[in-house]
Amino acid sequence: MPSPTPDTIPTTVGESAGLLGRLAGEARPAGDDRAAGPSEIAVRLSEVSVTFGGHPAVRHVTLDLPARQVTALVGPSGCGKTTLLRAVNRMHDETGATLSGTIHLGELDVYGPETRPELVRSRIGMVFQRPNPFPTMSIFDNVVSGLRFNGIRNRALLAEAAEAALVQAALWDIVKDRLQHSALELSGGQQQRLCIARALAVEPEVLLMDEPCSALDPIATGKIEALISELRSEITIVLVTHNMFQAARVSDLTGVFLLDEDRVGELVEVGPTAEVFSSPRDPRTLEYVTGHIG
Amino acid sequence: MTLAAPLFTDEAAEARRRLVRGSALRTLGRRRLRGRIATALCALALVLALAPLAALLGYTAYRGLGSLSVAFFVHTATPPGIPGGGIADAIVGTLVIVALAVLAAVPLGLAVALLLVDRPGRVAGVIRFAADVLTGIPSIALGIFAYAVVVRPMGGFSGLAGSVALAVLMVPIVIRADEEAMAAVPTDLREAGLALGAPRSRVLRSVVLRGAVPGLVTGNLLALARAVGETAPVLFVIGVGAFGSRVGWNPLHPLAAMPVDIYENGTAAFPAQQAGAWGTALVLLLFVLLLSVTARIVAARLNRKAR
Amino acid sequence: MAGVREALDRRRGRPGGRLAGAVRWVGAGLFVAVVLALVWSLLAGAEPAFARDGLRFLWGGSLDRTGTAYGAGPFVVGTLLTTAVALLLAVPVGIGTAAMLSELAPRWLAGPLSILVDLIAAVPSIVVGLFGLLVLSPLFGRDVGPFLKELPLLGRLFGGTLEGGSSVLLAGVILAVMILPTMVALTRTAFAGVARADREAALALGATRWQVVRGAVIPGARSGIRAAFTLSVGRAVGEAIAVALVIGNRPAVPHSLLAPGATLGSYVVTQFSEAAQGLPRARIVGLVVVLLVLTALVNGAGALLLRKRTTAGGTP
Repeated sequence: MPSPTPDTIPTTVGESAGLLGRLAGEARPAGDDRAAGPSEIAVRLSEVSVTFGGHPAVRHVTLDLPARQVTALVGPSGCGKTTLLRAVNRMHDETGATLSGTIHLGELDVYGPETRPELVRSRIGMVFQRPNPFPTMSIFDNVVSGLRFNGIRNRALLAEAAEAALVQAALWDIVKDRLQHSALELSGGQQQRLCIARALAVEPEVLLMDEPCSALDPIATGKIEALISELRSEITIVLVTHNMFQAARVSDLTGVFLLDEDRVGELVEVGPTAEVFSSPRDPRTLEYVTGHIG
Repeated sequence: MTLAAPLFTDEAAEARRRLVRGSALRTLGRRRLRGRIATALCALALVLALAPLAALLGYTAYRGLGSLSVAFFVHTATPPGIPGGGIADAIVGTLVIVALAVLAAVPLGLAVALLLVDRPGRVAGVIRFAADVLTGIPSIALGIFAYAVVVRPMGGFSGLAGSVALAVLMVPIVIRADEEAMAAVPTDLREAGLALGAPRSRVLRSVVLRGAVPGLVTGNLLALARAVGETAPVLFVIGVGAFGSRVGWNPLHPLAAMPVDIYENGTAAFPAQQAGAWGTALVLLLFVLLLSVTARIVAARLNRKAR
Repeated sequence: MAGVREALDRRRGRPGGRLAGAVRWVGAGLFVAVVLALVWSLLAGAEPAFARDGLRFLWGGSLDRTGTAYGAGPFVVGTLLTTAVALLLAVPVGIGTAAMLSELAPRWLAGPLSILVDLIAAVPSIVVGLFGLLVLSPLFGRDVGPFLKELPLLGRLFGGTLEGGSSVLLAGVILAVMILPTMVALTRTAFAGVARADREAALALGATRWQVVRGAVIPGARSGIRAAFTLSVGRAVGEAIAVALVIGNRPAVPHSLLAPGATLGSYVVTQFSEAAQGLPRARIVGLVVVLLVLTALVNGAGALLLRKRTTAGGTP
């Protein structure tokens, strides 16, 4: 990856300072409510490439996800953000993609020969682009479905976990009187929060969110963003988004993905969100960022 | 975040996390084993589903091949007990009866399907309901119907009566298949034709029909395959037991047919007749399988070309 | 768009267009007329039987002197029994086969195998019946029957004296083979209707592959499977030829699953040509009417389920 020197940054930086300033202004000061010092790394990706049927979708990604921080992955569509995200919890096992490089979850080698994908997935939750509650299940059954998949049958425990997860997802007050109703009775935004609660109920260490607001209206989006900010202190979050402002509003770190000359996705730059938006190191980042906030 | 109840302390969350992790790890072996058992049961179900097909095809081929000879195809049936009969009369009879049924059912089905695609509404609702009713009617009822409306008025058995029964059997299948084939043609194609100012009927004819050809061919071939093998509708009406000494082509006279031949000879006590039934069964089976495999190949080939 | 429509309406006035339209209307009229004539001819044909015995015809069971039953009772029982046996076998096997082909087997294997399963549907019922009559019936009489009678507890279902292989049980087995392709194809359609997002949701929560099928796919496909079930029932109830060859055709309520019996369809197949004109034949046609009512009930329920499913699923 070429590391540009400051003098390669084009002169447009001055012209776009206003826009970048707006973005940087929205970005939260890094590490505001956390103890200073080097934070522990929750997930470590090194030289990860994902290939579909011989065609690489994203390659040579090396990225550390610090624990209990929000890392946003931004970039144009088709540049491999989602592909990379789904590699982290081995969702590609079912689709026939091949992966090289290594991913570590703490000490665990995610793709190690002894590693069970089911156990990886129960430690790394996932929220999808469109709300996907199980359509035939009640609200309660949806929330506890992950626990049941993982072999928990104790009713008191399920009830306790369901309440905790729904409170965390800011949904408890809305649904506590209709837990046995169909999940499809909820609005789109509420369904997405139900899906977040469903993921949280399994008490994952990492939560992968794949453009979780792309199917939602602005108000519902705001609620999800508020939720992400709340969860930040407890869980490591990776947020794929095409919305630069969303990345600026909720993330601590931002990684920028772009297509390289072979039209394969690559990670161009990663750093504290405020820095990436205000003084990017790579000229391509600047070009992309300024082109997408006007 | 409210931390009112002990439910929400870090300790409670950590305890839950340990519990879920422990359970996930502890039960994984059991869960995977259960999955393997379930998969094995499903595989067994698949074997059980395919076993009858294998047994049927294998045994019919084994018994039928012994009967097959040139004579079997060119001779007509002999009276019970007299060896050396063939099924030329049954093959020709089936061809005549089915050809007439196709001549009636294919255009009629297409006309009705065109109407359904072109004019959705209450009329279409009535027609679709009638088609559903007809699809659900057991094929034996069609034989009774043909007996009442053709055999009784004409005063005797005839191949034509069989054709009427088979045509009624085919029409709802053809309608359904044609309609689905035409509905599968992308609407923007249709609208593009309309926007060019082409008359509605011509848009339907040219754009939709051409786009629907693979589906139309496949659907009609499958309906044909179904009609060829049906016994119940023709059993009472084409003239059973008429061991003709010549091949009949006239649909106004009684005709033989392969399925009826199998029924008659299969239930007979003479081993020679049973052997003949296996031979006829093999011919019929090959014919029907050939039709339905052709239908699928046509569909796949034309689909690929369309893309 | 309004301009286009006006132009269309103007053009539709052309004789060519009108003729094409007329042909379609004539076709539709003819079709509806045929359906009405079909129903009418059956009702008219059966009228003498109902005129004499009234609704008693539906459940009556005694024999008159010619040996022809005057009531549909034994045949309704036979039909329901054979259908029940067929479903008992075909539903689990069908769902398992569908799950294997759609969800569990690798694609290179599932593709060719599903073509084979589809081929079963193409096998003419007369050939299935012939196989049942000449191969399975002796086998049932010699080996399967005696074996089943010896079973503890279950053996009671197969009590009574053995009378050869032709039996309600064999008819059910034959029917199971015949409805299996329907069951498999419709269940696979139901599985295909379950969104990928639902499977991924389960997978991402730590479910094993089978748990995804059990927890997300089968529940999501439940209404479709129910529809597959009712349509299979419809086929089993209406099948006549293959059953006629293997059930023994005795017009009495069977005392055991290994006893011969008769279904509505099988009795019509074997007796229609032999029944004398007049009342005996009207009674046979009456059995067809009863069969029609039975299938209408089943198919109506199936159509209702299918419709409910499509409206619940919604269209994008």
